Amino acid sequence: MFWTPLINFEEKLGANIGEFAGWKMPMTYSSYQEEHMAVRTKSAFFDLSHMGRLRVKGKLQEIENLIAKKLSDAPAGTMIGPTAFLNDKAGFIDDVMTYKVSDSEFLIVTNAINREKVTAWIRRNSSLEVEDLTFDLVLVAVQGRGIWDVVERIDLAPLQFRLNTKFEGQDVFLVSRSGWTGEDGLEFWSKPENAQVILERLLTRGMKGAGLVARDSLRLEMGFVLYGEDIGEDVNPVEARYWVYSLDKDFIGKEALLDTLKRGVDKLRIGFKLPKNQRVIPRNSSKIKIAGVEIGQVTSSTYSPFLSRVIGMGYLSSRHFFMGGTAEIEVRGKDYSVKLSDFPLLK
Amino acid sequence: MSETKVGKYLVRMDLLYTESDEWVKLEGDIATVGITDYAQKKLRDIVGVDLPRKGQKVILGEVVAVVESVKAAADIYSPVSGEIIDVNEELVTAPETINKDPYGSGWLFKIKANSPEETKKLLSPESYIEKIKGD
Repeated sequence: MFWTPLINFEEKLGANIGEFAGWKMPMTYSSYQEEHMAVRTKSAFFDLSHMGRLRVKGKLQEIENLIAKKLSDAPAGTMIGPTAFLNDKAGFIDDVMTYKVSDSEFLIVTNAINREKVTAWIRRNSSLEVEDLTFDLVLVAVQGRGIWDVVERIDLAPLQFRLNTKFEGQDVFLVSRSGWTGEDGLEFWSKPENAQVILERLLTRGMKGAGLVARDSLRLEMGFVLYGEDIGEDVNPVEARYWVYSLDKDFIGKEALLDTLKRGVDKLRIGFKLPKNQRVIPRNSSKIKIAGVEIGQVTSSTYSPFLSRVIGMGYLSSRHFFMGGTAEIEVRGKDYSVKLSDFPLLK
Repeated sequence: MSETKVGKYLVRMDLLYTESDEWVKLEGDIATVGITDYAQKKLRDIVGVDLPRKGQKVILGEVVAVVESVKAAADIYSPVSGEIIDVNEELVTAPETINKDPYGSGWLFKIKANSPEETKKLLSPESYIEKIKGD
Protein backbone atom coordinates (compact mmCIF):
# COMPACT_ATOMS: atom_id res chain seq x y z
CA MET A 1 0.00 0.00 0.00
CA PHE A 2 1.26 3.49 -0.89
CA TRP A 3 0.27 6.72 0.82
CA THR A 4 -0.05 10.14 -0.73
CA PRO A 5 2.78 12.26 0.72
CA LEU A 6 0.13 14.90 1.52
CA ILE A 7 -1.87 12.56 3.76
CA ASN A 8 -1.08 14.29 7.09
CA PHE A 9 -1.92 17.70 5.69
CA GLU A 10 -5.15 16.39 4.20
CA GLU A 11 -6.22 14.57 7.36
CA LYS A 12 -5.89 17.86 9.21
CA LEU A 13 -8.29 19.34 6.67
CA GLY A 14 -10.78 16.62 7.60
CA ALA A 15 -10.19 14.24 4.70
CA ASN A 16 -11.72 10.78 4.90
CA ILE A 17 -8.93 8.56 3.69
CA GLY A 18 -9.77 5.47 1.71
CA GLU A 19 -8.05 3.01 -0.59
CA PHE A 20 -7.91 3.36 -4.33
CA ALA A 21 -5.71 1.34 -6.70
CA GLY A 22 -3.32 0.40 -3.91
CA TRP A 23 -3.07 3.94 -2.52
CA LYS A 24 -4.39 5.65 0.60
CA MET A 25 -6.02 8.77 -0.80
CA PRO A 26 -8.64 11.36 0.26
CA MET A 27 -12.07 10.06 -0.76
CA THR A 28 -14.10 13.00 0.57
CA TYR A 29 -13.58 15.98 2.83
CA SER A 30 -17.16 16.88 3.66
CA SER A 31 -19.66 15.44 1.20
CA TYR A 32 -18.76 14.52 -2.36
CA GLN A 33 -21.89 16.31 -3.55
CA GLU A 34 -20.68 19.63 -2.12
CA GLU A 35 -17.20 19.04 -3.54
CA HIS A 36 -18.65 18.17 -6.94
CA MET A 37 -20.77 21.32 -6.99
CA ALA A 38 -17.78 23.41 -5.87
CA VAL A 39 -16.00 22.38 -9.08
CA ARG A 40 -19.05 23.04 -11.28
CA THR A 41 -19.70 26.47 -9.73
CA LYS A 42 -16.49 27.66 -8.06
CA SER A 43 -13.30 25.63 -7.61
CA ALA A 44 -11.66 22.84 -5.66
CA PHE A 45 -8.36 21.00 -5.54
CA PHE A 46 -7.72 17.28 -5.88
CA ASP A 47 -4.70 15.29 -4.77
CA LEU A 48 -3.96 12.89 -7.62
CA SER A 49 -0.58 11.69 -6.43
CA HIS A 50 -1.60 8.07 -6.96
CA MET A 51 -1.44 8.51 -10.74
CA GLY A 52 1.68 7.08 -12.35
CA ARG A 53 4.14 9.61 -13.78
CA LEU A 54 6.86 8.41 -16.10
CA ARG A 55 9.62 10.19 -17.98
CA VAL A 56 10.40 8.45 -21.27
CA LYS A 57 13.47 9.30 -23.32
CA GLY A 58 14.75 7.97 -26.60
CA LYS A 59 14.02 7.94 -30.31
CA LEU A 60 10.75 9.59 -31.36
CA GLN A 61 10.06 6.75 -33.77
CA GLU A 62 10.21 4.25 -30.94
CA ILE A 63 7.85 6.31 -28.77
CA GLU A 64 5.49 6.75 -31.73
CA ASN A 65 5.46 3.00 -32.18
CA LEU A 66 4.07 2.52 -28.65
CA ILE A 67 1.46 5.26 -28.47
CA ALA A 68 -1.71 5.30 -30.57
CA LYS A 69 -1.86 9.04 -31.24
CA LYS A 70 0.60 10.91 -33.46
CA LEU A 71 3.14 12.79 -31.37
CA SER A 72 5.47 14.18 -34.03
CA ASP A 73 3.08 16.95 -35.21
CA ALA A 74 2.61 18.51 -31.77
CA PRO A 75 4.90 21.32 -30.66
CA ALA A 76 7.04 20.85 -27.56
CA GLY A 77 5.27 22.11 -24.42
CA THR A 78 1.89 20.67 -25.34
CA MET A 79 -0.06 17.68 -24.16
CA ILE A 80 -1.23 15.00 -26.53
CA GLY A 81 -4.14 13.03 -25.30
CA PRO A 82 -5.87 11.32 -23.95
CA THR A 83 -4.20 8.62 -25.94
CA ALA A 84 -3.37 5.01 -25.22
CA PHE A 85 -1.00 2.10 -25.20
CA LEU A 86 -2.78 -0.72 -27.02
CA ASN A 87 -1.99 -4.40 -27.09
CA ASP A 88 -1.70 -6.24 -30.40
CA LYS A 89 -5.44 -6.95 -30.31
CA ALA A 90 -6.04 -3.18 -29.94
CA GLY A 91 -7.23 -3.60 -26.33
CA PHE A 92 -6.29 -0.90 -23.84
CA ILE A 93 -3.10 -1.56 -21.90
CA ASP A 94 -3.74 1.90 -20.49
CA ASP A 95 -5.22 5.24 -21.46
CA VAL A 96 -2.66 7.95 -20.78
CA MET A 97 -1.90 11.63 -21.12
CA THR A 98 1.41 12.50 -22.80
CA TYR A 99 3.42 15.70 -22.38
CA LYS A 100 5.84 16.47 -25.18
CA VAL A 101 9.02 17.95 -23.70
CA SER A 102 10.97 17.49 -26.92
CA ASP A 103 11.11 15.05 -29.83
CA SER A 104 13.14 12.72 -27.64
CA GLU A 105 11.51 13.24 -24.22
CA PHE A 106 7.94 12.73 -23.09
CA LEU A 107 6.19 12.68 -19.73
CA ILE A 108 3.39 10.20 -19.41
CA VAL A 109 0.62 10.04 -16.82
CA THR A 110 -0.76 6.54 -16.34
CA ASN A 111 -3.63 5.20 -14.29
CA ALA A 112 -2.43 4.21 -10.81
CA ILE A 113 -3.22 0.54 -11.32
CA ASN A 114 -1.25 0.42 -14.57
CA ARG A 115 1.97 2.20 -13.63
CA GLU A 116 4.10 -0.93 -13.29
CA LYS A 117 2.44 -2.70 -16.19
CA VAL A 118 3.07 0.24 -18.52
CA THR A 119 6.67 0.62 -17.39
CA ALA A 120 7.37 -3.07 -18.02
CA TRP A 121 5.55 -2.99 -21.35
CA ILE A 122 7.55 0.02 -22.62
CA ARG A 123 10.80 -1.68 -21.60
CA ARG A 124 9.76 -4.93 -23.26
CA ASN A 125 8.77 -3.27 -26.53
CA SER A 126 11.47 -0.65 -26.96
CA SER A 127 14.94 0.47 -26.00
CA LEU A 128 13.51 3.64 -24.46
CA GLU A 129 14.73 4.87 -21.10
CA VAL A 130 11.90 4.97 -18.53
CA GLU A 131 12.19 6.84 -15.25
CA ASP A 132 9.41 6.64 -12.66
CA LEU A 133 8.78 10.05 -11.08
CA THR A 134 5.65 8.97 -9.19
CA PHE A 135 7.23 8.83 -5.75
CA ASP A 136 9.35 11.99 -6.01
CA LEU A 137 6.57 14.43 -6.83
CA VAL A 138 2.93 14.95 -5.95
CA LEU A 139 0.28 15.71 -8.56
CA VAL A 140 -2.43 18.19 -7.65
CA ALA A 141 -5.28 19.47 -9.82
CA VAL A 142 -7.11 22.74 -9.23
CA GLN A 143 -10.36 22.70 -11.15
CA GLY A 144 -13.50 24.75 -11.54
CA ARG A 145 -15.56 27.38 -13.30
CA GLY A 146 -14.38 30.02 -10.85
CA ILE A 147 -10.76 28.93 -10.85
CA TRP A 148 -9.27 32.28 -11.89
CA ASP A 149 -10.89 34.04 -8.93
CA VAL A 150 -8.72 31.93 -6.64
CA VAL A 151 -5.61 30.84 -8.51
CA GLU A 152 -2.74 32.97 -9.82
CA ARG A 153 -3.27 33.39 -13.56
CA ILE A 154 -0.75 31.54 -15.66
CA ASP A 155 -0.16 32.26 -19.31
CA LEU A 156 -0.99 28.85 -20.72
CA ALA A 157 -3.50 27.80 -23.36
CA PRO A 158 -5.53 24.62 -22.77
CA LEU A 159 -3.26 21.55 -22.96
CA GLN A 160 -0.08 23.61 -22.74
CA PHE A 161 2.44 23.01 -19.98
CA ARG A 162 5.63 24.47 -18.60
CA LEU A 163 8.51 22.79 -16.77
CA ASN A 164 10.69 23.92 -13.85
CA THR A 165 8.72 27.05 -13.19
CA LYS A 166 6.99 28.92 -10.38
CA PHE A 167 3.33 28.61 -9.46
CA GLU A 168 1.88 30.62 -6.60
CA GLY A 169 5.46 31.65 -5.75
CA GLN A 170 6.61 28.06 -5.32
CA ASP A 171 8.95 25.91 -7.36
CA VAL A 172 7.08 23.33 -9.37
CA PHE A 173 8.41 20.74 -11.74
CA LEU A 174 5.44 21.11 -14.08
CA VAL A 175 2.28 23.12 -14.44
CA SER A 176 -0.28 22.44 -17.16
CA ARG A 177 -3.65 23.85 -18.17
CA SER A 178 -5.55 20.59 -17.95
CA GLY A 179 -7.79 18.37 -15.85
CA TRP A 180 -10.34 15.60 -15.94
CA THR A 181 -13.51 17.29 -14.70
CA GLY A 182 -14.79 19.12 -17.77
CA GLU A 183 -13.97 22.47 -16.19
CA ASP A 184 -11.05 24.82 -16.68
CA GLY A 185 -8.07 24.35 -14.43
CA LEU A 186 -4.45 23.57 -13.82
CA GLU A 187 -2.48 20.56 -12.72
CA PHE A 188 0.92 20.78 -11.12
CA TRP A 189 3.64 18.34 -10.14
CA SER A 190 5.89 19.43 -7.32
CA LYS A 191 7.68 18.32 -4.20
CA PRO A 192 5.15 17.69 -1.42
CA GLU A 193 6.38 20.64 0.67
CA ASN A 194 5.85 23.09 -2.21
CA ALA A 195 2.40 21.67 -2.89
CA GLN A 196 1.46 22.12 0.74
CA VAL A 197 2.44 25.82 0.69
CA ILE A 198 0.43 26.32 -2.51
CA LEU A 199 -2.61 24.56 -1.08
CA GLU A 200 -2.43 26.54 2.16
CA ARG A 201 -2.52 29.74 0.10
CA LEU A 202 -5.46 28.52 -1.95
CA LEU A 203 -7.32 27.50 1.21
CA THR A 204 -7.00 31.03 2.60
CA ARG A 205 -8.66 32.25 -0.61
CA GLY A 206 -11.60 29.96 -0.06
CA MET A 207 -10.75 26.96 -2.21
CA LYS A 208 -11.95 23.63 -0.85
CA GLY A 209 -10.47 20.17 -1.03
CA ALA A 210 -12.23 17.52 -3.09
CA GLY A 211 -11.74 13.76 -2.97
CA LEU A 212 -11.71 10.93 -5.46
CA VAL A 213 -15.46 10.31 -5.06
CA ALA A 214 -16.21 13.76 -6.51
CA ARG A 215 -13.62 13.21 -9.22
CA ASP A 216 -15.51 10.06 -10.21
CA SER A 217 -18.91 11.80 -10.38
CA LEU A 218 -17.42 14.72 -12.34
CA ARG A 219 -15.77 12.45 -14.93
CA LEU A 220 -18.95 10.40 -15.29
CA GLU A 221 -21.01 13.50 -16.10
CA MET A 222 -18.51 14.25 -18.85
CA GLY A 223 -18.53 10.68 -20.15
CA PHE A 224 -14.83 10.18 -19.40
CA VAL A 225 -13.85 6.55 -18.89
CA LEU A 226 -12.22 4.95 -15.87
CA TYR A 227 -9.69 2.21 -16.58
CA GLY A 228 -10.68 -1.07 -14.96
CA GLU A 229 -14.38 -0.12 -15.01
CA ASP A 230 -15.21 1.23 -18.46
CA ILE A 231 -12.16 0.11 -20.41
CA GLY A 232 -9.55 -2.61 -20.09
CA GLU A 233 -7.44 -4.97 -22.15
CA ASP A 234 -10.57 -6.64 -23.53
CA VAL A 235 -12.05 -3.39 -24.88
CA ASN A 236 -10.83 -1.53 -27.96
CA PRO A 237 -11.08 2.22 -28.65
CA VAL A 238 -13.80 1.76 -31.28
CA GLU A 239 -16.11 -0.06 -28.87
CA ALA A 240 -15.35 2.57 -26.23
CA ARG A 241 -15.87 5.36 -28.79
CA TYR A 242 -12.67 6.76 -27.35
CA TRP A 243 -10.79 8.40 -30.18
CA VAL A 244 -7.29 8.03 -28.85
CA TYR A 245 -5.50 7.07 -32.07
CA SER A 246 -4.16 8.46 -35.35
CA LEU A 247 -4.29 6.17 -38.36
CA ASP A 248 -1.65 8.04 -40.36
CA LYS A 249 1.23 6.35 -38.53
CA ASP A 250 2.21 2.91 -37.29
CA PHE A 251 1.86 1.71 -33.70
CA ILE A 252 1.35 -1.53 -31.81
CA GLY A 253 -2.28 -2.53 -32.20
CA LYS A 254 -2.90 -0.53 -35.37
CA GLU A 255 -3.47 -3.56 -37.54
CA ALA A 256 -6.07 -4.97 -35.16
CA LEU A 257 -7.66 -1.54 -34.86
CA LEU A 258 -7.96 -1.21 -38.64
CA ASP A 259 -9.44 -4.70 -38.83
CA THR A 260 -11.97 -3.69 -36.17
CA LEU A 261 -12.88 -0.53 -38.06
CA LYS A 262 -13.41 -2.54 -41.25
CA ARG A 263 -15.31 -5.37 -39.61
CA GLY A 264 -17.39 -3.27 -37.22
CA VAL A 265 -17.98 -3.92 -33.54
CA ASP A 266 -20.44 -5.99 -31.50
CA LYS A 267 -20.76 -3.53 -28.63
CA LEU A 268 -20.55 0.23 -28.12
CA ARG A 269 -20.24 2.46 -25.09
CA ILE A 270 -23.29 4.53 -24.23
CA GLY A 271 -24.47 6.73 -21.37
CA PHE A 272 -27.72 6.54 -19.47
CA LYS A 273 -29.83 8.61 -17.12
CA LEU A 274 -32.44 7.45 -14.65
CA PRO A 275 -35.57 9.48 -13.91
CA LYS A 276 -35.04 12.03 -11.13
CA ASN A 277 -37.09 10.17 -8.54
CA GLN A 278 -35.33 6.82 -9.11
CA ARG A 279 -32.56 6.76 -6.52
CA VAL A 280 -30.92 3.40 -7.19
CA ILE A 281 -27.38 3.02 -8.42
CA PRO A 282 -26.70 0.29 -10.94
CA ARG A 283 -23.35 -1.36 -10.29
CA ASN A 284 -20.71 -2.71 -12.64
CA SER A 285 -22.21 -5.67 -14.61
CA SER A 286 -25.87 -4.70 -13.97
CA LYS A 287 -27.86 -5.85 -17.00
CA ILE A 288 -29.24 -3.37 -19.53
CA LYS A 289 -32.41 -4.88 -21.03
CA ILE A 290 -35.23 -4.27 -23.47
CA ALA A 291 -38.48 -6.06 -22.72
CA GLY A 292 -36.64 -8.52 -20.52
CA VAL A 293 -33.90 -9.32 -23.03
CA GLU A 294 -30.33 -8.44 -22.10
CA ILE A 295 -28.76 -6.03 -24.61
CA GLY A 296 -25.83 -4.73 -22.59
CA GLN A 297 -24.14 -4.17 -19.26
CA VAL A 298 -23.40 -1.24 -16.99
CA THR A 299 -19.75 -0.40 -16.33
CA SER A 300 -20.04 2.58 -13.97
CA SER A 301 -22.75 4.71 -12.41
CA THR A 302 -23.25 7.32 -9.73
CA TYR A 303 -25.63 9.96 -8.47
CA SER A 304 -24.97 13.25 -10.27
CA PRO A 305 -25.39 16.18 -7.87
CA PHE A 306 -25.43 18.59 -10.82
CA LEU A 307 -28.25 16.82 -12.69
CA SER A 308 -29.98 15.58 -9.50
CA ARG A 309 -30.31 12.12 -10.96
CA VAL A 310 -28.50 8.84 -11.28
CA ILE A 311 -26.31 8.61 -14.39
CA GLY A 312 -23.88 6.08 -15.74
CA MET A 313 -22.32 4.35 -18.70
CA GLY A 314 -22.06 0.88 -20.08
CA TYR A 315 -21.89 -1.15 -23.27
CA LEU A 316 -24.82 -2.00 -25.54
CA SER A 317 -24.85 -4.58 -28.27
CA SER A 318 -24.28 -2.49 -31.41
CA ARG A 319 -27.55 -3.83 -32.91
CA HIS A 320 -29.32 -2.17 -29.99
CA PHE A 321 -27.50 1.14 -29.97
CA PHE A 322 -30.72 3.12 -29.57
CA MET A 323 -29.28 6.49 -28.67
CA GLY A 324 -32.04 8.66 -27.21
CA GLY A 325 -34.26 5.63 -26.70
CA THR A 326 -35.21 3.96 -23.47
CA ALA A 327 -34.21 0.64 -21.92
CA GLU A 328 -34.31 -0.94 -18.49
CA ILE A 329 -31.51 -1.59 -16.04
CA GLU A 330 -31.81 -4.42 -13.56
CA VAL A 331 -30.83 -3.55 -10.01
CA ARG A 332 -31.31 -6.17 -7.29
CA GLY A 333 -33.80 -8.07 -9.40
CA LYS A 334 -35.97 -5.04 -10.27
CA ASP A 335 -36.02 -3.24 -13.62
CA TYR A 336 -35.71 0.54 -13.78
CA SER A 337 -36.36 2.59 -16.90
CA VAL A 338 -33.39 4.57 -18.27
CA LYS A 339 -32.84 6.96 -21.13
CA LEU A 340 -29.92 6.00 -23.36
CA SER A 341 -27.86 9.12 -23.92
CA ASP A 342 -24.72 10.30 -25.64
CA PHE A 343 -21.84 11.97 -23.81
CA PRO A 344 -21.38 14.33 -22.12
CA LEU A 345 -24.28 13.48 -19.84
CA LEU A 346 -23.99 16.94 -18.35
CA LYS A 347 -26.17 18.44 -21.10
CA MET B 1 -31.55 12.05 25.78
CA SER B 2 -27.99 11.07 26.47
CA GLU B 3 -25.45 10.09 23.92
CA THR B 4 -21.88 8.85 24.00
CA LYS B 5 -19.10 9.64 21.57
CA VAL B 6 -17.06 6.60 20.52
CA GLY B 7 -14.19 7.94 18.40
CA LYS B 8 -16.01 10.03 15.80
CA TYR B 9 -19.27 8.07 16.14
CA LEU B 10 -22.31 8.93 18.27
CA VAL B 11 -24.17 6.23 20.16
CA ARG B 12 -27.51 7.11 21.73
CA MET B 13 -27.99 5.60 25.16
CA ASP B 14 -31.80 5.34 24.90
CA LEU B 15 -31.81 2.97 21.90
CA LEU B 16 -31.09 -0.70 21.23
CA TYR B 17 -28.81 -1.97 18.48
CA THR B 18 -28.07 -4.87 16.14
CA GLU B 19 -24.82 -6.50 15.08
CA SER B 20 -25.59 -5.23 11.56
CA ASP B 21 -25.61 -1.57 12.72
CA GLU B 22 -29.34 -0.82 12.85
CA TRP B 23 -30.73 1.06 15.82
CA VAL B 24 -34.13 0.22 17.32
CA LYS B 25 -36.39 2.39 19.41
CA LEU B 26 -38.94 0.30 21.28
CA GLU B 27 -42.26 1.88 22.33
CA GLY B 28 -44.52 -0.92 23.51
CA ASP B 29 -44.57 -3.39 20.61
CA ILE B 30 -43.67 -0.73 18.02
CA ALA B 31 -40.05 -0.76 16.85
CA THR B 32 -38.74 2.26 14.94
CA VAL B 33 -35.63 1.31 12.95
CA GLY B 34 -32.79 3.27 11.39
CA ILE B 35 -29.06 2.94 10.79
CA THR B 36 -26.50 4.10 13.33
CA ASP B 37 -24.20 7.08 13.07
CA TYR B 38 -21.36 4.56 12.68
CA ALA B 39 -23.13 2.92 9.72
CA GLN B 40 -23.93 6.17 7.94
CA LYS B 41 -20.38 7.44 8.37
CA LYS B 42 -19.00 4.17 6.98
CA LEU B 43 -21.31 4.42 3.98
CA ARG B 44 -20.57 8.14 3.49
CA ASP B 45 -22.81 10.05 1.07
CA ILE B 46 -26.17 8.30 0.96
CA VAL B 47 -27.92 8.90 -2.37
CA GLY B 48 -30.82 6.48 -2.39
CA VAL B 49 -32.99 4.22 -0.31
CA ASP B 50 -35.23 1.25 -1.11
CA LEU B 51 -37.93 1.00 1.56
CA PRO B 52 -40.29 -1.89 2.41
CA ARG B 53 -44.07 -1.72 1.77
CA LYS B 54 -46.51 -0.84 4.50
CA GLY B 55 -48.27 -4.01 5.55
CA GLN B 56 -45.33 -6.21 4.55
CA LYS B 57 -44.73 -9.09 6.96
CA VAL B 58 -41.09 -9.42 7.92
CA ILE B 59 -39.04 -11.85 9.95
CA LEU B 60 -36.01 -11.27 12.13
CA GLY B 61 -32.82 -11.05 10.06
CA GLU B 62 -34.56 -10.61 6.71
CA VAL B 63 -33.34 -7.91 4.30
CA VAL B 64 -36.16 -5.36 4.29
CA ALA B 65 -34.53 -2.21 2.91
CA VAL B 66 -31.45 -1.09 1.02
CA VAL B 67 -29.48 2.09 1.59
CA GLU B 68 -27.51 3.22 -1.45
CA SER B 69 -24.32 5.15 -1.10
CA VAL B 70 -21.89 5.99 -3.85
CA LYS B 71 -19.61 3.37 -2.35
CA ALA B 72 -22.04 0.46 -2.00
CA ALA B 73 -25.60 -0.68 -1.52
CA ALA B 74 -26.07 -1.73 2.11
CA ASP B 75 -28.73 -4.25 3.10
CA ILE B 76 -30.85 -3.30 6.10
CA TYR B 77 -32.00 -6.26 8.17
CA SER B 78 -35.17 -6.45 10.17
CA PRO B 79 -34.22 -6.43 13.87
CA VAL B 80 -37.49 -8.15 14.86
CA SER B 81 -40.35 -10.09 13.26
CA GLY B 82 -43.69 -8.45 12.64
CA GLU B 83 -45.49 -6.18 10.21
CA ILE B 84 -44.23 -2.95 8.63
CA ILE B 85 -46.71 -0.29 9.75
CA ASP B 86 -44.96 2.84 8.54
CA VAL B 87 -42.07 3.86 6.27
CA ASN B 88 -40.24 7.17 6.05
CA GLU B 89 -41.31 8.27 2.56
CA GLU B 90 -39.39 11.55 2.90
CA LEU B 91 -36.18 9.60 2.39
CA VAL B 92 -37.12 8.66 -1.17
CA THR B 93 -36.48 12.21 -2.35
CA ALA B 94 -34.08 13.23 0.42
CA PRO B 95 -31.98 10.15 1.30
CA GLU B 96 -29.16 12.41 2.54
CA THR B 97 -31.33 12.95 5.65
CA ILE B 98 -29.88 9.65 6.90
CA ASN B 99 -26.40 11.25 6.88
CA LYS B 100 -27.64 14.42 8.52
CA ASP B 101 -29.82 12.97 11.26
CA PRO B 102 -29.44 9.17 11.48
CA TYR B 103 -31.20 8.82 14.84
CA GLY B 104 -33.96 11.35 14.13
CA SER B 105 -35.56 12.33 10.83
CA GLY B 106 -33.42 9.69 9.09
CA TRP B 107 -35.44 6.78 10.55
CA LEU B 108 -36.33 4.11 7.98
CA PHE B 109 -39.43 2.13 9.01
CA LYS B 110 -41.62 1.04 11.92
CA ILE B 111 -42.51 -2.55 12.73
CA LYS B 112 -45.30 -3.83 14.93
CA ALA B 113 -43.30 -6.59 16.63
CA ASN B 114 -45.04 -9.90 17.26
CA SER B 115 -42.43 -11.64 19.38
CA PRO B 116 -41.29 -9.83 22.55
CA GLU B 117 -38.58 -12.47 23.15
CA GLU B 118 -36.74 -11.31 20.03
CA THR B 119 -36.24 -7.80 21.37
CA LYS B 120 -34.30 -9.25 24.30
CA LYS B 121 -31.58 -10.28 21.86
CA LEU B 122 -30.94 -6.71 20.73
CA LEU B 123 -27.68 -5.11 21.86
CA SER B 124 -27.59 -2.61 24.70
CA PRO B 125 -25.88 0.74 23.96
CA GLU B 126 -22.94 -0.48 26.06
CA SER B 127 -22.58 -3.66 23.97
CA TYR B 128 -22.84 -1.65 20.76
CA ILE B 129 -20.11 0.72 22.00
CA GLU B 130 -17.91 -2.34 22.59
CA LYS B 131 -18.62 -3.51 19.04
CA ILE B 132 -17.57 -0.30 17.29
CA LYS B 133 -14.84 0.75 19.70
CA GLY B 134 -11.42 0.90 18.10
CA ASP B 135 -12.80 1.01 14.57
